[in-house]
Amino acid sequence: MKMVTFREVSKYYSGRAAVRDFSLEVEEGERLVILGPSGCGKSTLLRLVAGFIPPDSGSIAIQGDIVAADGQIMKSPEKRGVGMVFQDLALWPHLTVKGNLAFGLKARGIPKKEREQRIGEIVRLVQLEEYIRAKPAELSGGQQQRVALARALVLQPRVLLMDEPLSSLDLELSVRLRGEVLRLQRRLGFTLLYVTHDREEAFDIGTRVVMMKGDGRIERIGSVEQVRAYFQARATASHLIRQNLNDRSA
Amino acid sequence: MAKRLVLTSVAILLAVAGLLPILAMLVKSVMVDDHFSLAFYQELLASGREVTLMRHSMALSTLTTLFATVIGLPLGILLAKTDLPLRQLFILLFTIPLLVPPYITAVSWFNLLGRDGLLARYLDPSLAKTTSAWLFGLPGCTLVLSSTFLPIVMLLTIASLKTVNPRLEEAGQLVAGWFSVLRGITIPLILPGVLLAAMLVFLLTFGEFGVPAFLGYDVFPVESFTQFSAFYNFSAATAAAIPLAVVAFLVLAAERFFMREKTDQLRPAPDGEQRSFIGLGPLRRWVLALVSLLCLIIVVVPVLALLLQSATTSAYVEALNRAGHSLLRSVVYALVGATLLTSVGFLSGYLIQTRTLPFWRSVDALTIFLFALPSTVTGIGLISLWNRPWTNFIYTTPAIIILGYLAKYTALTSRITVSTLAQIPSSMEEAAQVVGAGWVRRMGVIVAPLARHGLVAGWLVGYIFCLRDMGITMMVYPPGHETLPVRIFTLMANGSPQLIAALCVIMIVATLLPLSMLWMVFRTAMRGGAR
Amino acid sequence: MKRAHMKRGWAILTMITALVGYLGCYRTAQRSDTVTVYVSEDEVFSEPILKDFERETGIKVQAVYDTEEAKSTGVMNRLIAEQDNPQADVYWANEPIRAEVLKQKGISAPYVSPNAADIPAAFKDPEGYWTGFSARARVLIVNNKVNPKPHSILAYTDPRWRGRAVIANPLFGTTTVEIAALFTIWGEDRAMAFMAEMKKNGVAISPSNGESADFVASGQFDFSLVDSDDVVSRLRRGEPVEMIYPDQGENEIGCLIVPNAVVLIKGAPHPDAARRLIDTLLSKATERKLAFADCAQIPLHPGVETPPDVMRLDKMHVMSVNYADVARKMMEIQPYLKRWAGL
Repeated sequence: MKMVTFREVSKYYSGRAAVRDFSLEVEEGERLVILGPSGCGKSTLLRLVAGFIPPDSGSIAIQGDIVAADGQIMKSPEKRGVGMVFQDLALWPHLTVKGNLAFGLKARGIPKKEREQRIGEIVRLVQLEEYIRAKPAELSGGQQQRVALARALVLQPRVLLMDEPLSSLDLELSVRLRGEVLRLQRRLGFTLLYVTHDREEAFDIGTRVVMMKGDGRIERIGSVEQVRAYFQARATASHLIRQNLNDRSA
Repeated sequence: MAKRLVLTSVAILLAVAGLLPILAMLVKSVMVDDHFSLAFYQELLASGREVTLMRHSMALSTLTTLFATVIGLPLGILLAKTDLPLRQLFILLFTIPLLVPPYITAVSWFNLLGRDGLLARYLDPSLAKTTSAWLFGLPGCTLVLSSTFLPIVMLLTIASLKTVNPRLEEAGQLVAGWFSVLRGITIPLILPGVLLAAMLVFLLTFGEFGVPAFLGYDVFPVESFTQFSAFYNFSAATAAAIPLAVVAFLVLAAERFFMREKTDQLRPAPDGEQRSFIGLGPLRRWVLALVSLLCLIIVVVPVLALLLQSATTSAYVEALNRAGHSLLRSVVYALVGATLLTSVGFLSGYLIQTRTLPFWRSVDALTIFLFALPSTVTGIGLISLWNRPWTNFIYTTPAIIILGYLAKYTALTSRITVSTLAQIPSSMEEAAQVVGAGWVRRMGVIVAPLARHGLVAGWLVGYIFCLRDMGITMMVYPPGHETLPVRIFTLMANGSPQLIAALCVIMIVATLLPLSMLWMVFRTAMRGGAR
Repeated sequence: MKRAHMKRGWAILTMITALVGYLGCYRTAQRSDTVTVYVSEDEVFSEPILKDFERETGIKVQAVYDTEEAKSTGVMNRLIAEQDNPQADVYWANEPIRAEVLKQKGISAPYVSPNAADIPAAFKDPEGYWTGFSARARVLIVNNKVNPKPHSILAYTDPRWRGRAVIANPLFGTTTVEIAALFTIWGEDRAMAFMAEMKKNGVAISPSNGESADFVASGQFDFSLVDSDDVVSRLRRGEPVEMIYPDQGENEIGCLIVPNAVVLIKGAPHPDAARRLIDTLLSKATERKLAFADCAQIPLHPGVETPPDVMRLDKMHVMSVNYADVARKMMEIQPYLKRWAGL
């Protein structure tokens, strides 16, 4: 089933295109990484899927239903059932970890017993049991990441959006957390849309990679192997050209 | 969607409470004998005298704003960020001038510096001649109004400082001393709050009439006031008030111009974190002396004058007899008014900050416009709109006073909310949206708690302004429901100075006591939230 | 969580309090045994009279008091603004010109009280739209240190007192009444000449009579033309001033008497209670109280007991004016006064 479908989606900010004529179908269960330099509209794509902004043209469908088209939002973010981990994590500082997790469950009217159960499950899954009563300010960077992840996943979304979640962490932590994300995705089976500017991260996490250009268009789409091979070829080519020049000048 | 519905209702409420009455007055001001005419406006512009009055008003407002800001800003920083002793006491003391009707402050200074005042009697009569000449004019008005409105700058500075992320200052401290950090980092970050305070002081001074009248310095509001009091000509009076509104718009435009490149912090102060304090070291004693001296001049002397004058128990007994009920009423109306102002201001501030509805700029301008308009115009507008048989259930009850507060003072709480919300990353609310929370839940559980510092500050400011209000209350209060400031002024006519002084002291105590209690409650509640 | 509960608790408590308070107020306003009076006479003097009325008749009095003219726009504007749906029953004016203005604007209703019979005709409206009582005199307040003392309002144009005199804003209150009165007895030319001379003689303008009196008492100025109750209250407080009735000589104009005036409002919500209040205000008993009070106002009924320091009407050389004429003249000269005062 096509989980998320972009059809000729464009979004402009003060005349400049963040996303231009973007078409893509995201399969259920796949891990799609959006790769590109800063400011090329990667985050905009996620915000379009989440429903914070409408596309200026084109349409977006989630699980077959059109949720936004041509400047209109048909389904507001609260109703889309999409999970998101923000770039700044956006953990609510005045609520405990448990409070952060429970908030969405309460909003959906889930009764207390079931809430407790689901919170307990997810907290075990991300290994944060001891910290359930702590406030976000008391946790380390990696722990906060896991809370953000848990908060999104406790609601059992079909689609999870992640906006450069590991960019502020050191390499070791980043690798470890990547592994966690993979583990959770395999276990829970959600479709992942992951934004990053780090190539290694992209190849590690994704099944498919979308490369974006600075003008908001797609440069290349392909499986991880294909894109890796492309980069390899490009690197070899430029290396050869440089060597050629050196030989010439010698 | 609940969001659009509620926010639109707020806009409609403001329109009904404030805009409609003014429109009714505006319509009258362009009608002469039932046909359209700009005669009143032409008369206004033709007179050279108006230009002089306007010049005077500009001079007074600019000077007062300057002094209030130049003193209020450092004072706020000293009282919020340093280890100066007796900080809480100073904050309380410096707030007092805002609570005393400025007219009374002017009279206190007159009793001190007039030709036959205390200075003349105990020190030097020839010096008194100079001080008296100096008092009756621009310098005297500036002194009185600066000390009255200085607390606004101080309080808003203190409130803004709470939102500064200490990390940003610490980063600066590694490379520079505290003075450079303040100048280069802290002050730019709190600039929106300071500019808001400056704008408010300017507008309040511009509309002030009683003090300049007493000290013999003619200002622009005189014209509108005269049309009301001498000629009973509402249309001409409204026409004469419009330039005040125009000035308000210009001030607002200037503020928008300066704020268009806002400095949004990347990571505002995390909850409950200790703010970084400046140790004053050896300077401490000197700074304490300086601040105490300032307090002496601005606060203690006028209050002492009041206390000395009212120094008999009989004065206080009579005061409580005559005004005990109005005191209670004042406090109750101020409590209700502040709460309503905070709620409405929160929603309208949210509307403005998030630009949810296309006319958000108009809502902001409307609140500022209503704040700047002379209270009499608003008051009479309210009477014209609400004094009808089928709205008696509002007009004959204190509800009309509360409506008046709403019309006049929403700008305060709305703008304070705007600057508070500007510090909260939008991802906070978006994260709540994405997990499925509707707007009402998001506002109540996420946004409002995150904005609580601003909400408390807004409530306290609203309380002070409702309590001290005279202009609007005077026009619309139902017979028998007068408030303490009104009472002070009606009793002033041939009331003994002792009685008036006693009433003022009671008013100060009545404002500060609940205020300090509430502040302590709020502070513990806020701190109790964070660990 | 607890904070959310606390907030909700506060909100509910506030709403309940507001509702209860509000309902209470509304019910009170609807009671039939009340009378609403707007009062321009100083509250310190008028309130005791109204409280006495309340005690004696059991009718509750709801009052709106006025402030001195320069402090805020007052009760008159409220009356005018409310005219389509009057909230007031009675207006207690502190000078008859305002009562005339109300008559001209069609806001008052005629009522001839039985207690008005003894009041001299000069002090009441022939059709009964207002009735005068308890008057003030326009007098000179002079600082004790001044020697010799002024005895006429012409002192304002006497170079001996250049820059040493103050007068209240001529656009408001009893000062306007006096100037308008001068216009009616002297004629326009002489009156305008007087005003011009006064200005040339460096007269200062204070916001109101109260301030004028205080300035003279504090020595800031030598004398001022104010109301008699302003002087008496300073005298009884022990201030170093003296009250001089101006122009008492045989060929002089005399001193202006400014009576209080009571008005029945057209469409008053409680007309019966209103008439009772008016009767009480116009009674000899009220005049006696106001004579003995600190306002020391002069009774208009013959034969009312007065304390020694209150001059009696029959012992005074009174300026003879027609208040209706004065009211009309006042409207006419207002633009002139505005220019004169530099506004």
